[in-house]
Amino acid sequence: MTAATNDIILSVRGLATHFRTHGGTVRAVQGVSFDIRRGRTFALVGESGCGKSVTALSIMRLIPTPPGTIAAGRIELHGRDLLKVNDAQMRSVRGNEIAMIFQEPMTSLNPVFTIGDQIVEAIMLHQKKSRRHAWVEAEKLLARVGIPDPGQRVREYPHQMSGGMRQRVMIAMAISCKPSLLIADEPTTALDVTTQAQILDLLDDLQQVEGMSILLITHDLGVVAERADDVAVMYASKIAETGATEALLAQPLHPYTQGLLRSLPRMGVAADRLAVIPGSVPDPREFPSGCKFHPRCPIGCDDPRCSSLEPELRQVSEGRQVSCWYSPGFETPEESQDFDRRYGRDKRKSPSA
Amino acid sequence: MSETAVTTPVSVSKGRSLWSDAVKRLLAGRAAVISAIVILIYVLVTLFIYAAEFGSSRFGWGIPLTNYNEKVGSEYEPPSWKHPFGTDYKGRSVLRKTFYGARTSITVAFLASLISIAIGVPVGAMAGYFRGFVDEIVVWLYTTLSSIPYILLILAFALVLKDRSISLPWPGAPTFRLAGIASVYLAMGLTSWVGLCRLIRGETIKHRDREYILAARSYGCGRARIIFKHLLPNVFHLVIINFSLQFVGFIQAEVILSFLGLGEKDKPSWGAMIDDARLTLTRGFWWEMAAATLAIFVISLALNVFGDRLRDALDPKLRTE
Repeated sequence: MTAATNDIILSVRGLATHFRTHGGTVRAVQGVSFDIRRGRTFALVGESGCGKSVTALSIMRLIPTPPGTIAAGRIELHGRDLLKVNDAQMRSVRGNEIAMIFQEPMTSLNPVFTIGDQIVEAIMLHQKKSRRHAWVEAEKLLARVGIPDPGQRVREYPHQMSGGMRQRVMIAMAISCKPSLLIADEPTTALDVTTQAQILDLLDDLQQVEGMSILLITHDLGVVAERADDVAVMYASKIAETGATEALLAQPLHPYTQGLLRSLPRMGVAADRLAVIPGSVPDPREFPSGCKFHPRCPIGCDDPRCSSLEPELRQVSEGRQVSCWYSPGFETPEESQDFDRRYGRDKRKSPSA
Repeated sequence: MSETAVTTPVSVSKGRSLWSDAVKRLLAGRAAVISAIVILIYVLVTLFIYAAEFGSSRFGWGIPLTNYNEKVGSEYEPPSWKHPFGTDYKGRSVLRKTFYGARTSITVAFLASLISIAIGVPVGAMAGYFRGFVDEIVVWLYTTLSSIPYILLILAFALVLKDRSISLPWPGAPTFRLAGIASVYLAMGLTSWVGLCRLIRGETIKHRDREYILAARSYGCGRARIIFKHLLPNVFHLVIINFSLQFVGFIQAEVILSFLGLGEKDKPSWGAMIDDARLTLTRGFWWEMAAATLAIFVISLALNVFGDRLRDALDPKLRTE
């Protein structure tokens, strides 16, 4: 990455999160690494179950334990490893330095408290403010996130509000302590399309003013294209490729990303059926050997190398990292020779985009 | 329901809380209102007797109702205008004894409920929230307790606790003598938290994985705050429903214990009245038995009806509109 080190708010290195289940250990996140820059939006994209939410919860250290454990890695916020701090210190990080909003605004507010009570609680947990001041602050925050008539709304209960309103309340709570990072776990999935755009606009606006970074978790590539500065595509517990959004979407290197982009409907192109990626997401208890995408991969499905050797995430060009043997510039000359010797040149297809 | 809304300076209309909605729904039904009034009358009688007792011991008031030992007529007088429920074998007014019995029953049931809530709610909530080791110990404890027949357990507790002195384990702490009804409500409270604990545990398990709990943790709430501030208010309707339904059980248990001679000895109680009356029933002296039974029947019916209506009003499925 070109960004200077002090410009990096959060740095995740080699994160591995496992869940022990009756059917065996589920490796939900394996060796995930990325950096989030100050004041930028970093998107984590992937299908359901690829590990993007688990990554977010791992950063917050909110993985339910048992059965989950963070098995390895470092999560450095301003250079401090969050996996090494104690519980009390972690509580002061949550809400204060890293805040989070969730997918389901309908269920993420406590039904027995007023909106104001909950915002006030979030404020008073981290700031030395009197209840009265916190209450005034709560009204200001509601106004800030675009809720009309905040003086009245602050006294209402969650069930009196619509989904979009509740998501705004969640955002108000999240920004109440001016965190340096906001994790938005599919913040618009449960909302209708017009509300989605409003919520994303609000997040954009807050980011401009407050200068916070956003970790945006989504499965919507359209949202990524519009809102994210950097993006990482996750597949089956690992990052398939990562880079600046524009470059990555313009020239996807990983066959999975290529497949995702092909499967999007295009304006102005008549199509009876959308392109699909054959097969389905592998069972996390029994991931395939080698590259986890190879059984579904149009390039590597017959390649013995892809089915036996798992590619790690490597830098292939300025700011671009990918994990695919076929990606241009991925394999080293030694590996190339070694593969030729082991699998034979004729069995390998020529690298293609 | 929230104190913040009251203490804030600006006067704006309050939001509709789920509790106020439930109260509105409850008061819309005639059966609920009537049974609430009946329950209220029993409670008022109890409070009145306490006030009268206090007044007569302190200021020497002579309120006839508290003077249950006074001989008001000859033995076994049938009901009349002068003695609406007749008199007993000592010529005492059965009416006064019946009123006094309400005091005993309501007090015992109330204190036993408090003890059972004080144990059952926090234990159940912690078992449900922490799961694992804590949960296993709690479940083991209550399955063991609940496998012993309830009445036997109460009898055992009541016998052990009867007329015993209890000194609290710190220096200079006061010593309590468990005279009269104390052993009764302690025995019932200490044995009856199981049902409530089980309910609260189950409901807590349901709620702990809800997103609002995760959200509360995500803005920095600690465990104690999550359990007592966020989880308990969401399962508290169960405590209220359980309270109203268990109250009946406590009243009946008190009657049984008093009937067996383990309860209140010196002051009237419905159980003791039934015990007194049962031998003379064959001689046609039915009124003491009838008075005590009627008193139990009316309060039991009212509490049951009220408890059912309360359950309907607080049903989580009806709470969202």
